[in-house]
Amino acid sequence: MKNTEADMNKPDIHQADSHGSDSHGSDISEADELSTLFAAARELTPADLGAADRFLAANAGTLGRSFGRAGRRRRVLRLWAGAVLGAAAALGGLSLLGPSVLRPAPADLPASAAYSVYQSAIGEGW
Amino acid sequence: MHRRVIHGRVTRPLARSWLRSGVRLRSRVRLAALLLSAGWMGAGWGAAQTGQSQTVQNQPTQTQPVQAASPTSSPAQDAATPTDALISALRRSLVQEARGEALLELVFPPSDTPVRRARALPRLGTVPALIRRNFVVTSTPGTVAGRPATRYLLTPNSAQAARWTIWIDVRWKVPLAYQERLPDGTLARRAELLSVNPGLNRLAARTVQTPVPGLKKALLSVLPGLSLPAGFEPLRVRVRAGAAGAGAAEVVLSDGLNVLALVVSSRAVQPASGVAVRRLGGPGLSRPGLGGQSVWLVGNLPQNTLESALSGIRRLDPAALASMTGTFGRPVASEE
Repeated sequence: MKNTEADMNKPDIHQADSHGSDSHGSDISEADELSTLFAAARELTPADLGAADRFLAANAGTLGRSFGRAGRRRRVLRLWAGAVLGAAAALGGLSLLGPSVLRPAPADLPASAAYSVYQSAIGEGW
Repeated sequence: MHRRVIHGRVTRPLARSWLRSGVRLRSRVRLAALLLSAGWMGAGWGAAQTGQSQTVQNQPTQTQPVQAASPTSSPAQDAATPTDALISALRRSLVQEARGEALLELVFPPSDTPVRRARALPRLGTVPALIRRNFVVTSTPGTVAGRPATRYLLTPNSAQAARWTIWIDVRWKVPLAYQERLPDGTLARRAELLSVNPGLNRLAARTVQTPVPGLKKALLSVLPGLSLPAGFEPLRVRVRAGAAGAGAAEVVLSDGLNVLALVVSSRAVQPASGVAVRRLGGPGLSRPGLGGQSVWLVGNLPQNTLESALSGIRRLDPAALASMTGTFGRPVASEE
């Protein structure tokens, strides 16, 4: 914060100088001012630390949908949809191939079926 | 009675001509008396002869010479062998039958009503050519429903096959009764007329059954390894449309009188007395649509004979089956 105040004051000094004396020496001091200004800008200040986090946290709603609590809910939803679709596909496949895969072998016919064939073979009238 | 009428018809014009002739009255009376007495004697002898032959005919232990002397026997029948006489009667039974009150008893195949009554005997699906080949026929006299009959005993050449007894009416030459017994003497089925209507009934003519040429070879190519029981030949093929398109082919086999039913089906049947089953394709494949098939053999043979007939079958040839049913088969309505 101190630095910010200092930065704020610097232009004021510069302006007072430029208005007060219109000489060549003031140009040199202005260049120094600028170089110190740039040097100050290059330095990492405590304000810079965590700035990205603060920015992202403040703009989570507008910047990206994959982040935050809403994003997690979306991911879970997508997982469930996949599971349901997969189960549906498996059920469909089984119902199509069911007769030969799921259903057990048909039960043997009763012996009366064999006797009725024999009775039709021995002739009419019995 | 019949002879006496003939006698009167012949003698009256003769007597008139005698009376008109110029012979003296006393001689005429004497001659007439003589002729009359001779006629009486002749009529009495004829009546005695008829009565005697009738009583002998009704006896079950009728001897061959008396039967030959009876007016109902024909020389042609006596000259033929029992097999020829029986087959001739069986052919006749295709167009004519005796009716009345019949008692039917069916022990095999088992049913809810083994005994019932009917108006006629069930048809005998005989194959004359196979009877000649597979049976030894002997005959003895008998009686059915008060009518004289010839009792034919048919002993099979194969020790496992059932034996038959058929009673043929002496005059009508059609069956009056028959029965089928297993080798151990157990009754399989029998049919007998208890009373007989006067006169025969005409039937829609049928052709004599014969083994179909080529069918045996076709059947053996469908089921390589099948060994038909001794004496049996395939007669016909029927194609039955079953439930859910699972069709079955039925082959009727005969040894002349006994019948076997061979079924090729996509479904197996529970083994039972007189029913042998062989599954083809293994238990994992015996399902519709996956080529699994079962073969059943049903009939009045010992269980081990039925099973050994199927035991050699290793596989079923679907192409040969389609060819056999296409060439020899005829469709029947499903009972399922």
